[in-house]
Amino acid sequence: MSKQLKIFLTVIGVVAVIGILHFWLNVGFNKSGISNSGNVAEEATFRVGFLPVTCHLTCPVTDWINTNMVGHGFYEPVRFSGWPELKEAFLSGNLPATFMLAPMAMALRQQGVPVKIVYLGHRDGTALMVHKDSKIYTFKDLRGKKIAVPNRFSNQRLIIYRGLRENEMTINDVTLLEMPPPDMPAALYSKSVDAIISGEPFMGQTEMDGYGRVLYQAKQLWPNFISCVLVVHEGVIKEHPQWVQQLVDGIAKSGKWLDAGMEHRMEASEAVATKYYHQDPRLLRFVLSKPPDRVTYSNLALAKNDFEKIADIAMEAGVLSGPISFDEYADTTFSSKTHDTQPYSWSPTQ
Amino acid sequence: MKKRLEVLLLPLLVVFLFVSVWHIAVKVSGSEIFPTPVEAIAGIAELFRYGVLFKYIVASLFRVSIGFLLALIIGIPAGLLIGWFSRAFYAFNPIIQVLRPISPIAWIPVAILWFGLSDLAPIFLIFLSSLFPILTATMAAVQNIQLVYLRAASNFGVRGLALFKKIILPATMPQIITGVRLALGVAWLVVVAAEMIAVNSGLGYLIIDARNAGKRYDLVVAGMILIGAIGLCLDLLIRRLQRLDEVRWGFQSMMQ
Amino acid sequence: MTTASIKIHLRDLGMTFDGKGNGTSIRVFERITLEAREGEFVCIVGPSGCGKTTLLNIIAGFVKATEGDVLIDGSPVHGPDRRRVFIFQECGIFPWLTVEQNIGFGIMDRSRREQKEHIDHYITMVGLTGFGNAYPSELSGGMRQRVEIARALVSNPDVLYMDEPFGALDYFTRLRMRAELISIWEREKKTILFVTHDVEEAVQLADRVVVMSRRPATIRTVIDVRLPRPRDLDSLHYIEVRNKIFEAMGLDHSGLGVHEKSPAPL
Repeated sequence: MSKQLKIFLTVIGVVAVIGILHFWLNVGFNKSGISNSGNVAEEATFRVGFLPVTCHLTCPVTDWINTNMVGHGFYEPVRFSGWPELKEAFLSGNLPATFMLAPMAMALRQQGVPVKIVYLGHRDGTALMVHKDSKIYTFKDLRGKKIAVPNRFSNQRLIIYRGLRENEMTINDVTLLEMPPPDMPAALYSKSVDAIISGEPFMGQTEMDGYGRVLYQAKQLWPNFISCVLVVHEGVIKEHPQWVQQLVDGIAKSGKWLDAGMEHRMEASEAVATKYYHQDPRLLRFVLSKPPDRVTYSNLALAKNDFEKIADIAMEAGVLSGPISFDEYADTTFSSKTHDTQPYSWSPTQ
Repeated sequence: MKKRLEVLLLPLLVVFLFVSVWHIAVKVSGSEIFPTPVEAIAGIAELFRYGVLFKYIVASLFRVSIGFLLALIIGIPAGLLIGWFSRAFYAFNPIIQVLRPISPIAWIPVAILWFGLSDLAPIFLIFLSSLFPILTATMAAVQNIQLVYLRAASNFGVRGLALFKKIILPATMPQIITGVRLALGVAWLVVVAAEMIAVNSGLGYLIIDARNAGKRYDLVVAGMILIGAIGLCLDLLIRRLQRLDEVRWGFQSMMQ
Repeated sequence: MTTASIKIHLRDLGMTFDGKGNGTSIRVFERITLEAREGEFVCIVGPSGCGKTTLLNIIAGFVKATEGDVLIDGSPVHGPDRRRVFIFQECGIFPWLTVEQNIGFGIMDRSRREQKEHIDHYITMVGLTGFGNAYPSELSGGMRQRVEIARALVSNPDVLYMDEPFGALDYFTRLRMRAELISIWEREKKTILFVTHDVEEAVQLADRVVVMSRRPATIRTVIDVRLPRPRDLDSLHYIEVRNKIFEAMGLDHSGLGVHEKSPAPL
């Protein structure tokens, strides 16, 4: 009997020690840990989802600047590793707001999810890469090739459709593969695919490491290209419009701040890479500077025209099942108040 | 003594050969992406220097131990009851057999939708993946109890709760322990998938984080090595249960 | 033979096993009527598969007969009872308990002191002094069988049912166990029903030997073994009784596989 008790107590003891250590090391210093159900009511715990890509850079940058300027951010940036997990967390109500692929947001709206696009995340910031040894030099050379795209709902997939259309090719002329962007560089390196396309910095990485070649920057195929947008739950717009406005303003300010000077971008690269993305800072520095307009963060207000172009191709690609009106999936209230927004007046060297 | 030396040296030799082949293969292929063993070990050292090594191990152990403990608390009693009462078996066995082969990875969306962004989602996945081996092993163990023990017990008037405590549980314990050992292996196996969900610590997270980090496959492999090594330690620990006096009989091939 | 009262009365027992699904049912035995007196040692022998074990299981209350009843002290048996303990062919002691815990299993409701006394007494009686804390897996087959006998005796039952208890033991251990069983029986005067397929064993142990036929089995005959104990295995009378049993079983004893000694001439 006492032996069973001893084993029981040992197990309980060990688990308790692990539990205490876990809460101390991984939860205690970090308010993001265990809190669970949608604490939408409490402003301090509003969460905004993002992926470690440049399309979502304004999310960590806004938090970083606010933390430095006033000591704390006004939302908790939550990093995800893939689109499906991010989408599911948003659907579960655990994320009141998140950065998301524009066509994905439109498709979710069409499927009845109460989601609204309130602002853009960036412009451009996507490249179509091929292996430097490959003989692919124009879009037409992609005929019969395998191209990796991040997600079926990604604008990167739609840009391929647009390229095909302009080059009088069809989707049957290429093979599209869905692949998480972090896996794309290795796939290109091992030549398992002929071309890859996704948001930065995964494209720049192949260039920096010397085996990738830019076939096109997004803007060459689709001027003013948008990949990701800022979306919020409709309920949050209704109940906390002032917070949504604050969020949109923050994104607008940090976007303009990022475009206000290369030194800002270099500082942001350092901070975001180490604190938020856990990447080599050289990577972000590379994609944010070579060339500087590889990705831009100004001019992020919602424009109907941009989205109608997306909707058009999205229908062709089967992402949308039919026409959907701009007003249904977008809410320009917040975006329209950002025209005069000035960049954050802060510099890390101050 | 000689045997002991062999038991220690032979596996080390195989590991050494494996690591050498790995090193040579990376060098010969000239891969700039896949790390050599030295780089992977340096990756572990780097994690240690940044102070995340211990944190991540603790985080994964926490999720696995809570999920696994819940599976034990629910799986063993449920398995005993379902194995013992034929009506319960008819009622529950089909659904158990349907749920059992579903990979924990398939449950990821469900876990996120139900538990959102917290430790609960990975704990749920680990719980599910370890529940079924425990449940099915316990059920089978009860159904395979030697009739002679039950008859001896009923001869001495043991029934009801006392029958479970004095006969059924100890008689099934060796098989349950085998199931538990299997389940712990699976639970640890699932930690990578379980930590794909937006948690920000753990060895599974380390691997996913390293994939996001660009060319940090040294950290991916470092994570793999750590998961393997800790899995081995957990198995060695749980194997000690098999040496307890009360269950040792079940692991000896020659009882007669 | 003393004229003790009737302890066990089997009244026209019959048993049919339902065929599982395929409709064929097995008639195991029929019309079994038998009486055993209090304190009597009765052996049941018969060819393998004749239902000896099933019969014993029915008498002990583990299995229900399809016909007839079992009366003990005049009242019908509805299930197992701690006053009548079964000793199993495949060894029924619990491998997860020590020798002491096994022996004490039947008297757990008594005070600790009383338990200890009884356990010590029976451990000594079956010659396992010093093995109290050993687990069954550490013991030899003979020692395990003695633990089971001690476990049965400790709760002071009226009746012991023994189902080929020495079947798995080697020849010499078997001989010694038989001698020990007889000495225990002479001291404690339990009623014993003992199933075996070994005719030698039956003649060595029993007051009476019940011989069963092949399936569907009936009682072919009941033979009184009026031999003084300890029994001389070479005595003429012993061989006579033995051969009578062989005859009753319809067998030439030389063809019986269980017979280890070279067959003696008739």
